[in-house]
Amino acid sequence: MTIYYDNVEPGQQLASLSKGPITPAHIMRWSAAVENWHRIHYDQTFAKEHDKLPDILINGSWKQHVLVQLMKDGLGPAGWLWKIQFRYKRMDVAWDTLIGRAEVIEKREADGLGFVACRVALMNQRDEVSTAGIAIGVLPLRGGRKVPYPFVPKADYPAFAVAAD
Amino acid sequence: MDSQEDYGKYQGLQGDPQIAAMPLERDALRRFVQAIMDHDPLYFDETAADASKFGGLAAPPLYPVHAFRLPADTPDPLDVISKDPNADGTAGIMGVAFGLPPIEMPYRRLLNGGNEIEFYRSLRVGERTVAHPKYVDVTLKEGKSGRMLLVTIETRFSTEAGEPLLLNRQTLIWR
Repeated sequence: MTIYYDNVEPGQQLASLSKGPITPAHIMRWSAAVENWHRIHYDQTFAKEHDKLPDILINGSWKQHVLVQLMKDGLGPAGWLWKIQFRYKRMDVAWDTLIGRAEVIEKREADGLGFVACRVALMNQRDEVSTAGIAIGVLPLRGGRKVPYPFVPKADYPAFAVAAD
Repeated sequence: MDSQEDYGKYQGLQGDPQIAAMPLERDALRRFVQAIMDHDPLYFDETAADASKFGGLAAPPLYPVHAFRLPADTPDPLDVISKDPNADGTAGIMGVAFGLPPIEMPYRRLLNGGNEIEFYRSLRVGERTVAHPKYVDVTLKEGKSGRMLLVTIETRFSTEAGEPLLLNRQTLIWR
């Protein structure tokens, strides 16, 4: 379904998703897929006794993809995720459930396209925000041109002066 | 050595382009999207993918950052753990530096300070990722819990044909 810029307003939740509980098996599957053998992600004894962590950790690299998926799905197939920036604020551990949210905070038109800035966050079942940032998506205007693909940004495309939490 | 001047030689230092050992294969894509739990049919349904703006099966937008694997003829990184029960398992991880020379520093603990990413196009099945890394900032700081080194690496990812895929600016915090 096409999401048009005209139908998106500041304050609106663009997208949400939930993943979990993320078990040690899920974490191990990610580590295997990207061949990351860092033991804090699959060896509980090592994570706790050697690195003094509360449990094996959900990879930050995995959480990046969840934030990108959140925005990709929220913008729909006609949109494009142009930019995303985020910071890791706290650890997520095995058996946590992660909830992603993207909320529109500002919108602007330029070059016949619609640009939407969103506040993005991942939080766990304890309502702790573990990863937070800002994303800028591009949407078509109703009756306007398609969002070009590949997306080649121009110098005068909007730079939203918004700070991440 | 641990003064800002010592780290000046790394500012702006560019690494040689790194080419992924393998082009994106369908089975690697299947395993990857299962691992990130994204069931978008554009990742596995050829008919849907052909009709999409990607013109065929393509990877998730951020995939190029994780497209790098050890070639089959390199030493097994798990040997390090077999020999040293205290090894953390990070040996052999292609990681974040993408072939940039390691920074000489007294710090051992690494935290990911965050990323800024710009996306241009997705990697298609059959294409190979090329990473073009650069140290853009290396700054020594005094924090509440002591001294730390903030390292920002900017890596441009492209196809072998030079088509831009994404730009990833990552800040690493060494303590």
